[in-house]
Amino acid sequence: MISMSFFTGLFSFIAIVSGSTLLVMIYLDNRNVRIDDGIANFRRHIDALSPEARQSSVHRNDPENRR
Amino acid sequence: MARDLAIDLGTANTLVYMKGKGIVLNEPSVIAVNRQSGEVLATGHDAWDMIGRTPSYIVAVRPLRGGAITDFDITERMIRLLLQRVGVSRFTRPKVVICVPSAITEVERRAVTDATRRAGASDAQLIEQPMAAAIGANLPIDEPVGNMVIDIGGGTTETAVISLGGVVALEAIRVGSFDIDAAIQSYVRREHGVAIGERTAEEIKIQIGSAEPGPQDRSADIRGRDLVTGLPKTVRLTAEEVRFAIDEPVAAMVLSVKRCLAKAPPELAQDFLSRGMYLVGGGGMLRGLAARIERETEVPVKMSPQPLEAVVLGAGHCIENYQALRGMFMGTRR
Repeated sequence: MISMSFFTGLFSFIAIVSGSTLLVMIYLDNRNVRIDDGIANFRRHIDALSPEARQSSVHRNDPENRR
Repeated sequence: MARDLAIDLGTANTLVYMKGKGIVLNEPSVIAVNRQSGEVLATGHDAWDMIGRTPSYIVAVRPLRGGAITDFDITERMIRLLLQRVGVSRFTRPKVVICVPSAITEVERRAVTDATRRAGASDAQLIEQPMAAAIGANLPIDEPVGNMVIDIGGGTTETAVISLGGVVALEAIRVGSFDIDAAIQSYVRREHGVAIGERTAEEIKIQIGSAEPGPQDRSADIRGRDLVTGLPKTVRLTAEEVRFAIDEPVAAMVLSVKRCLAKAPPELAQDFLSRGMYLVGGGGMLRGLAARIERETEVPVKMSPQPLEAVVLGAGHCIENYQALRGMFMGTRR
């Protein structure tokens, strides 16, 4: 009886520790992804404002190009 | 499937950019309504021709003043008509990006987005006019250098310093080219005892108005109504008189540019001396205004090649790259 409750407790403890470790790892992994996302989003944002990107919208309507 | 749109809903003119097509509509922001039935009788150029010349049952109005909606219902109807004219139907609901003054309040912001959604848009996003103007004027705002843009519209003057795709410093006042027209009207009434309409005042501004003396200074005969006799009267107005009449709004515009320069970080301020400032918007086309700003700030001023279209072209670029530039819309900044 005592040994059973000991093993139950041990397994519960291991399960809690493993679960917590897993959650922390997922959180850290997500955090890394978010940081990378920020860099990628900013890069996309800046690239979309480059003169090459504006070629199709702004330049197309330039009076000199329309002639 | 409706093509997404960018709208520059200006106090003076409305321009519409359609995704993949470019500018598809450019006309005055005026609507003529039957006062009795509430029916819309004309919009754009047709309504503009009616200003000051309508019988009592027709009212031709500008639904925006100082860049803000003054009449919600009429603005909604105007946007609905604009969308219909560019091919939007009840079943095709496009995404719409609208250019608004940066000094707009939260209530005014909501009024614009609500009016646009109710007029048939599936999504309405707002973008600040100086930012759109900088994109449309082809300034290198993707680089870490100071780009300064002065947007003088019908109801507002906005000056912004932009670097790396974001606004660094901003100064906006609700003084624009309509204030210049109003100053001319008021001067002619006060000094010559003659009442003139807003269209006549605008014509005077275009013909002989200037912010700095120049070789093109001349005079013009203007016709109005004598305030004493009530009869039509012609008076001669000189360029110097007009310059004196409009000095107050012009000085306010120059002061707002100076205030923005003072707000700019020193690292970017040195860029302006080599790169200059860019003038966009119809108000910026006033003769001698660039020279006056240049004289008072000691910073070179250049005119954008497309001063009237720069704002809508910038917003159009945002609609072409909607996902990548979402962060530029007001209220969605990261």
